[in-house]
Amino acid sequence: MDFLQTSIDGLLFGSAYALLALGFSLIFGIMKRINLAYGSSLLFGGALAVWLEPIIGWGAVGVFLVTVLGAAFAGIYVERLCFSPHLGKTGVMASMIASFAIWMQLDEISSQLLPHRTHSFAGIDIEAVSFSGIILRGDQILHFWVAVVAIGALYWTLYRTRFGLLLRASADDPDTAYLLGGKVARLGMATFGLAGVLGGIAAFLILSSDGQITPHFGLWSTFKGLIAMMLGGVGSLPGAIVGGLLLGFAEAHVTFYLGAEFRDILTFGLLLLILVLRPGGLLGEAIYRTGRLAAERI
Amino acid sequence: MSLYVASTLTNVALISFLALSAYLVLVVGEVSFGQQAFFAIGAYVTATVTAIFGGHIILALFLSTIAGGLAALLLAALVIRLSGLYFAIASLCFAELLRLTLLRIRIPLEIDGRSTGMDGPEGFSNIRWIFENDFEVTDFLILTVVCLLALLLLLFYFERTTVMLRARLVGRDSLLAQSLGVRPDHYRMAFIGLSGMVAGFGGALFALFNTHIEPQMFGVMLGVHALAYTVIGGLGAPLGPLIGVGIDIGLLESIRALSEYRMIAFGGLVAVLLIIFPQGLLSPRAVNRLWGRIRRRDV
Repeated sequence: MDFLQTSIDGLLFGSAYALLALGFSLIFGIMKRINLAYGSSLLFGGALAVWLEPIIGWGAVGVFLVTVLGAAFAGIYVERLCFSPHLGKTGVMASMIASFAIWMQLDEISSQLLPHRTHSFAGIDIEAVSFSGIILRGDQILHFWVAVVAIGALYWTLYRTRFGLLLRASADDPDTAYLLGGKVARLGMATFGLAGVLGGIAAFLILSSDGQITPHFGLWSTFKGLIAMMLGGVGSLPGAIVGGLLLGFAEAHVTFYLGAEFRDILTFGLLLLILVLRPGGLLGEAIYRTGRLAAERI
Repeated sequence: MSLYVASTLTNVALISFLALSAYLVLVVGEVSFGQQAFFAIGAYVTATVTAIFGGHIILALFLSTIAGGLAALLLAALVIRLSGLYFAIASLCFAELLRLTLLRIRIPLEIDGRSTGMDGPEGFSNIRWIFENDFEVTDFLILTVVCLLALLLLLFYFERTTVMLRARLVGRDSLLAQSLGVRPDHYRMAFIGLSGMVAGFGGALFALFNTHIEPQMFGVMLGVHALAYTVIGGLGAPLGPLIGVGIDIGLLESIRALSEYRMIAFGGLVAVLLIIFPQGLLSPRAVNRLWGRIRRRDV
């Protein structure tokens, strides 16, 4: 029974990780770049929401909207400053370091918005459901469904709209997409905005189920998103979802059976093991094997 | 020289070792987020040798350098077939695993009535070598700077050797290197090992200077900073990383008046600097052009 309960808790929490990883994967898939400032842009959204909450009112809905919009705005800012000037093949390193610098900047701005370090974050109170001995927290079930809807909306955007088609074409080969008449110039901005929206939703889910926000959230979410993405397979959307759920599942079990202090050791150990044994991640090996990424040293 | 200036300069020199080790990895075309691991290993080895076994500093520095190099070779052997992002994340995992492990190891000791030894999150305190040998802060600064200059001279000499040129080729285009009979993996292994040695040596001095070390000092921020210094400074010459350190710590100290908004200004500045100089200030191209000019004048 404990096993089942822990598994369910882990998977419910893992749905938020999956959203974080999807944001990373989108950016990596389209731009072939790693955005170190991703977590901080989500932190910025959350901090802005807490700061504006007394001004706007609207309770949890207002907080949700500001978090998502703030994260998307910060994402676009990061793209303009760190990624669009470094599109060439030699720009991989420069964009990574620039995004690190902006990470520091956004973290500092968020700390200024959160003067007391730890602030309470609006949550939604729903009563816990229990059947045959298994307790499900109401807000976590809501979060799970929000994550499912967000992932569904992402898939719909990518596979059923012209914009999604353009994104996928550009991820495959930006030059060909451009030659066939795709307007790829602003695509980077749109991708970062989309990733920011996904991440903002994830940030709201995580922060409201914790009930608080601290400036550490930036580093934390960058790590979790990156690890979940690498576990599942870089640049693969199903991989990101599997990776996120797996990470939540593994963390819940390690915390339950071995204690919280072993959680991070196991997370990093698992990731190192997967990188050594199956470099492309669980579902993304084909991406690595085609050799394109390896040859471009990304 | 005031105490404050001397200790700031010492810190600049100590971080320079880490930046130079990041430089050596970048030369062969890899990005490492894990150089702080070898720095930490050097620091803990020196702490153990001097504080627990009462060993001589030369022995401590030697063992730290070797230990850093061996750890780097171990990492390299594990992940040599990875590159780019994969290598970066693997090195990050390695460093975080090491830090988390150090947090779990508790072997507190009592020597001469003082607590010392590895003690998990409390760290390793009372590394009293500089007190026992009457080293002033300025003396230690001189020691560190002399070591750093020696390393720089070595690297400058190294820069014009065939080995370095081949390593740069591996970093630029490993396929081309392969077709010219250079084995990329050998060069990558060797340079990652070397970078571990440099970082281990720097970590050893760091432990002696700080007299107290704890796992939290060797977090991912330290490694990413070292990497950032190298990229800002440029990959053209060993002076690049030092310029990066100077810009960061120099600017941080000079705009301390705005202390609250320091990182906001600095982060933006670095991003803008990278837009203007995407290859860093001392890029390989700029260095080659400079060399060309100097040579022509000689003739």
